[in-house]
Amino acid sequence: MSKQLGFLHNSEKCVGCRGCEIACKNEYQIEATPQWRKVFQLHEDDFSLPTRMFFSMACNHCAHPECLRVCPVKAYTKREDGIVIHDPNRCIGCRLCTMACPYDRPQINPAKKKVEKCNLCYQRIDQGEKPACVTACIPGALELVEINDSLDQKTGILKTLPGLPSPKITSPSIRFIGPKQGKQIRRD
Amino acid sequence: MKLTRRKFLGGAAAVAASSMTLFNFNLLTNSPSASAADQPSEAIKTFRNVCPRNCYDTCGMITYVEDGVLKKVEGDPKHGYTNGKLCLKGYSYPRRVYSPDRIKYPMKQSPRGSGNWTRISWDEAMDTIAKKILDLKKRYGSTLPICLDKYSGNFGIVHYGIEGTMSSIGYTTRAVGTPCWPAGIDAQTYDFGTLYSNDPEDMVNAKYIILWGQNAAWTAIHSLPFINEARERGAKLVVIDPILTSTASKADLYIQINPSTDGALALGMARYIIDNNWVDWEYARANSLGFDEWVEYVKKSITLDWASEKTGVPKDIIMEIAREYATAKPASMWVGYGMQRHTNGGQNVRIIDALGVMTGNVGKSGGGVNYGHLETWGFNYNAMVNAPPKGSKGFIGPDGKEGDRAINMNNFAHDVSAQSDPPVKMLWLACRNPGAQDPDTNAIEKMFSSMEFVVTVDSFFNKTVEMSDIVLPATTHFEDWDVMASYWHYWVGINQRAIDPLYECKSDVEIAIELSEKMNALEPGSCTFPTSGTPEEWLAKEFNPGIHQMLGINDYKELIDGPRKAKMPPASWSDGNFRTPSKKIEIHSELAEKNGLPALPIWVDEMKTPEKYPIRFMTPHPQYALHSQFQNLDWMMTTNPEPKVEIHPNLAAKYGITEGTMVKIYNDLGSITVKAHLTRTTSTNVIVAYEAWYKNSNFNVNYTLKAIPSDMGKQATGNDGLAFHDNFVMIEKA
Repeated sequence: MSKQLGFLHNSEKCVGCRGCEIACKNEYQIEATPQWRKVFQLHEDDFSLPTRMFFSMACNHCAHPECLRVCPVKAYTKREDGIVIHDPNRCIGCRLCTMACPYDRPQINPAKKKVEKCNLCYQRIDQGEKPACVTACIPGALELVEINDSLDQKTGILKTLPGLPSPKITSPSIRFIGPKQGKQIRRD
Repeated sequence: MKLTRRKFLGGAAAVAASSMTLFNFNLLTNSPSASAADQPSEAIKTFRNVCPRNCYDTCGMITYVEDGVLKKVEGDPKHGYTNGKLCLKGYSYPRRVYSPDRIKYPMKQSPRGSGNWTRISWDEAMDTIAKKILDLKKRYGSTLPICLDKYSGNFGIVHYGIEGTMSSIGYTTRAVGTPCWPAGIDAQTYDFGTLYSNDPEDMVNAKYIILWGQNAAWTAIHSLPFINEARERGAKLVVIDPILTSTASKADLYIQINPSTDGALALGMARYIIDNNWVDWEYARANSLGFDEWVEYVKKSITLDWASEKTGVPKDIIMEIAREYATAKPASMWVGYGMQRHTNGGQNVRIIDALGVMTGNVGKSGGGVNYGHLETWGFNYNAMVNAPPKGSKGFIGPDGKEGDRAINMNNFAHDVSAQSDPPVKMLWLACRNPGAQDPDTNAIEKMFSSMEFVVTVDSFFNKTVEMSDIVLPATTHFEDWDVMASYWHYWVGINQRAIDPLYECKSDVEIAIELSEKMNALEPGSCTFPTSGTPEEWLAKEFNPGIHQMLGINDYKELIDGPRKAKMPPASWSDGNFRTPSKKIEIHSELAEKNGLPALPIWVDEMKTPEKYPIRFMTPHPQYALHSQFQNLDWMMTTNPEPKVEIHPNLAAKYGITEGTMVKIYNDLGSITVKAHLTRTTSTNVIVAYEAWYKNSNFNVNYTLKAIPSDMGKQATGNDGLAFHDNFVMIEKA
């Protein structure tokens, strides 16, 4: 593998608008239930002051993808650029991957009885475009990045957020910039 | 001086609905694994559309169509404010167009409210409606028993054909006003002559930004990049709001103010600015009337202690923001529509206006007291303008003139029922869902049930449709030609017909044409609505030399190459030509005084919390919906499946309410029951639920809401606004 593409999510900028989540659905006209990308609200009590803070997550295109490891029919492949591709034509809907992924991102499509997930818009990337979710992000909170040491050495880059599974399990290709809080004048 | 948010008319005409393949979502799936959406394909055509919803952002859209099927939507990169991105609602449009829940054919319900709908032909629908109109006209000697309620479901200019439909049958009863923003409009009308905000893209030049009751993250998200750029250049962002919104969570300073006391905070700031002589005397005295008189009032009547007590904001914070706002130069304020939905809401906006004037921030790039504008709306409203048939009898107004009979949109149930000479017997609803959006839902239900006949034009079987005899299926904006302007940014865009109308859907103008043909067949001369013209021809008739010049075009077709921004300076009022009677800013407004309001922007007390109902129930705009649109779609129902009421843990504890408890919210008018979400984003005496229409749910926040008017609105919009946020209730475990 020559490089590892992934996402950088900035909770300081993210307002939880869910534009990325629905832009993903719009791009592929995904049915209602599988949510390839999903915006999560961080628990307000995890912060010194109550707040509405968010992060957005799709498939993390892990360096050590559990989905790929457990799939009995080799529906998963990992590209040279690190993107983990799921091929629904091979998928038998056994759901082993949905149980193995610590992030719950491969999801069953109940109508098709097969798994679906984010393929990092590889077709767009191959044409030099950004993924649909990144293109749609209005505050610029979601970026496509190369996951490497120089990124990890930058100040403020986090490998995980409170409440997420340990990144040691699969080495997810996602990095975070944590939320920042301003001053609040409150009435309680 | 009358601004009547010109009632818009709809649609395009004449092309009959095409072949009726039953579209479903399978047709739409863009294969995720191979040959995906972005492969340039000769089969894929793109069209320009504009989101026509009642929203600040009015986004430019690019629509991808393959074999006549809308495959996906994107933001239009040529639109300089929305910049090639849509919001979650915009991206959900394919699900709206092809929703299996869409109303596909004209249908009748017998009896009304039974849910027993049967498909009828357009001919039968029009025959039934036309005969009812003619019957009422014969019985009452006029068409005044017919009442139109149309507002903001689609703000496309051609949609003013809805008003034109009514005009063309005679004088009718009309719901007049706007529930959204009239108190603030009047405040700015008294002060400046009209509402006229800076270009929002100009916010990048602000050195200090106050969002006053404005939740851009949910309601105007495309403004965030401009605000963020100002912050990157060093501007501080202050958000003043009773609710810690997603926008407020990002602020440098969030102030949880006591609801309805914004004017008191602004007056406290004014006092401190005067005491420290940070006043821009030169600007204020040169450009306004009554400034010194108001300064005397502030010095005499306002103290920081009083302002702090009233607002719940500590004195040192009032001093801090007063100093920073007055000395930042330029400093921008954005006044949200939520903060004027109070009995003193307009007055509070007038006080904030005065704060902008005293610091010289009006008329400046990077400044402004920004509320909205209608500068780019100067279309012909051709579809709206039809002479009544000869011999039509109208309502004699107080001025002695004969015309339509205006009733208050903001007290619709009461005002419809109160008419006796002649009574209202038939309702026509389009671009409007009073069953979901009007105050006092019980009163609305009662009024509807007293009608002889109700016709609704809509896309979904919502609450208002449920109370109708006949529903006519409306096209979406992808199926029509139209043109859209914004009340926030300065861009105007064309909306092409990207796909043929689905099923038997028609635009409002096409419906008017059908009705006109039928009425004239039954009684020649009974309807003046023209019966010719293609949808694009109807669109073309909306343009005039003024619009061409403003947009720098010679022909509307140039807009197909991309939306255009109006040629206007970035700062409103920068020429100093105010549109008040005196041509100056009227801090002392004789017009306000004449209308029974204070002449000066002085403090007017907020509504007192009733003892029996000590909890304020706020019902602001939702994230997943625009009023009763979008939340019913399957993508939204997946990501936000049910409504919740936000309750502070301390308040919840008092009533034994925990996370997920079903809570009954009630007062004398009615009640709703909804699941609790405990959160400290609200305060201990305010509960919050976001208005929306969920699929298969009777959730509706308006059962407890009294039709209490806000203090202003009559001057520019015909009727006072609604004090939506002065809604007081009690709660208990359901």
